[in-house]
Amino acid sequence: MDQDRRAQWLRGVLDLCVLGLLARGDSYGYQLAQSLQAAGLGAIQGGTLYPVLLRLQRSGLVTVYWQEGGGGPARKYYRLSPAGHTVLAETAVQWAAFAGGVGAILQERTAR
Amino acid sequence: MRPEIWLAALSDELRRHGVGPDLAGHVVAEAAAHLRDSGEQPLRAFGAPAAYAAAVADSVGGPVAAARPAGPVRLRAVDIVKRYGRRPVLAGVSLTVRAGQVAAVVGANGSGKSTFLRICAGLAGADGGRVEVHGTIGYCPQAGGTADFLRADEHFALIGAGRGIRRGEALRAGAHAAAALDWRPGPQQSRHLSGGTRQKLNLVLAALGDPDVLLLDEPYQGFDRGTYLDFWHEVWRWRDEGRAVVVVTHLLNQLDRVDVVLDLSASTAGAAA
Amino acid sequence: MTRTFTVAEMSLRELTRRRGVLLMLLILPLAFYLARRGDHLGQSIRFVCLGLCWALSTAALFTGSAARALEPRLRLSGYRTHELFLGRLVALWTLGVALSLPYFLLIRLDQQDVRYGAIAVIMLLGVVVSPLLGLAVSALLPRDLEGMLVLLTVVGLQMIMDPAGTASRALPFWFTREIGTYAIDHTPAPYLTRGLIHALVTTTLLMLVVAVAFTIRLRQRPHLRFVS
Repeated sequence: MDQDRRAQWLRGVLDLCVLGLLARGDSYGYQLAQSLQAAGLGAIQGGTLYPVLLRLQRSGLVTVYWQEGGGGPARKYYRLSPAGHTVLAETAVQWAAFAGGVGAILQERTAR
Repeated sequence: MRPEIWLAALSDELRRHGVGPDLAGHVVAEAAAHLRDSGEQPLRAFGAPAAYAAAVADSVGGPVAAARPAGPVRLRAVDIVKRYGRRPVLAGVSLTVRAGQVAAVVGANGSGKSTFLRICAGLAGADGGRVEVHGTIGYCPQAGGTADFLRADEHFALIGAGRGIRRGEALRAGAHAAAALDWRPGPQQSRHLSGGTRQKLNLVLAALGDPDVLLLDEPYQGFDRGTYLDFWHEVWRWRDEGRAVVVVTHLLNQLDRVDVVLDLSASTAGAAA
Repeated sequence: MTRTFTVAEMSLRELTRRRGVLLMLLILPLAFYLARRGDHLGQSIRFVCLGLCWALSTAALFTGSAARALEPRLRLSGYRTHELFLGRLVALWTLGVALSLPYFLLIRLDQQDVRYGAIAVIMLLGVVVSPLLGLAVSALLPRDLEGMLVLLTVVGLQMIMDPAGTASRALPFWFTREIGTYAIDHTPAPYLTRGLIHALVTTTLLMLVVAVAFTIRLRQRPHLRFVS
């Protein structure tokens, strides 16, 4: 995949994907990166992911807490806040419409 | 790069970018955990420490400027007029700066920023107007102002003696101020220093002896990005200590954090905002 | 007082690091001396004294020009104007004395039948006057090159003009020739007296020029007022 275009797409959706993953349960940075990769978004570097998490924390869409790891130092866990739930629900609907439109246009191209 | 080294550098860069110590600690701890879990190389996972710190600082939105009551007037320039031959460079410029304030003097090339600063310092004559200074002045020119054949510590002793500071104390103060700009003065004569380092010397000399008013004429010539940030840290620190700082600059991105802006390019008659 | 000495100390440090200047200070008078050693008695003494004066005033010229960039900042840091030029003079006088000693010894050992005391007086007066001349020239002329030309002219004229003529008394180093005649040709006392008076007048005039030039250049501007 063209790396520039992928980066552009990610810039638009990364925060929403993180919110979506957190809706399934609390998680920490590295775990989120692995989940994103498993979901097909490709490898997400820490340098990209953590600033996004910080922004989400700043805008109150996620809350954080520290938890002792098993036998290791504490990890920073993220939890979706009520505001985050609301934003996720709204944007998910908007995305479905948007992506649907894009898909329809491109489907014509691939069909030909 | 080994993770410990990268993390230490990250800690430094976060401080430079104005990220508060608590948050910086969390960011470093989280990055350390990520590196441990993933086993990746820090440069690959996060990039250069400075770049990652900049991204964090951006996300966080910078340190919050606390509302501060302005102190007594330290510098008052009223209706400064300066002509070169028949060409007016400054036509009635005024500026008032109080203790604990930072003023930025901006304008296009040739709009008279340096001239105005020199007039405020008393290094150039004015054809009209007056300047009142409450306290002592420290001045840092864009270039020059150092003795080629003297070492940095000899400069500290010389300027310090003028301010009435004993030599040992002047040397300590100079070394301390230099460290804030990420510089450890060595035994070289100042003519052997690079341009940027010489400017660091210039800046340290201007602030030596804790003058009440600091007049800085784009003193960051030759500074790398990190030192440039350090410089502004020092400016905020001087402000917090209650000094009046005037900086001639044309780089706008720091302007939203200064207290007073004097724009000399708007018209030949500028007034402080 | 300490401030003046601090200026003097730093000026000395600067001077001793300028290898070119030091070399000139050491070699030039020697070259003058050796060039005239074969001549009739005493010419080498006259020329070495003149060489010392020229070297020292040139050193003062260079120091003065180099210091210009720093002096306004020193004023802002709290130095008084007189501390600045007196400090430089003290440094140059010290250097001058240190420089003259080996040459005095050289004359003491190499030349016979001259009044050594008077020669010491010439050298001492030369040490006093030369930095004043160099500093005065650098204070009046902004650039090194023009200052050098002035000093060259002065020394050149000093060498060419007949010291017996009245016009030559206008030159700042005339006293070296006059007292030199007293020391070498054993002429009567009035030569010494005239030389001493000339040196005194020259010193006073040049000191005045230096003081006035420095004060004007580093004056506090009328538009600026310090309020405590």
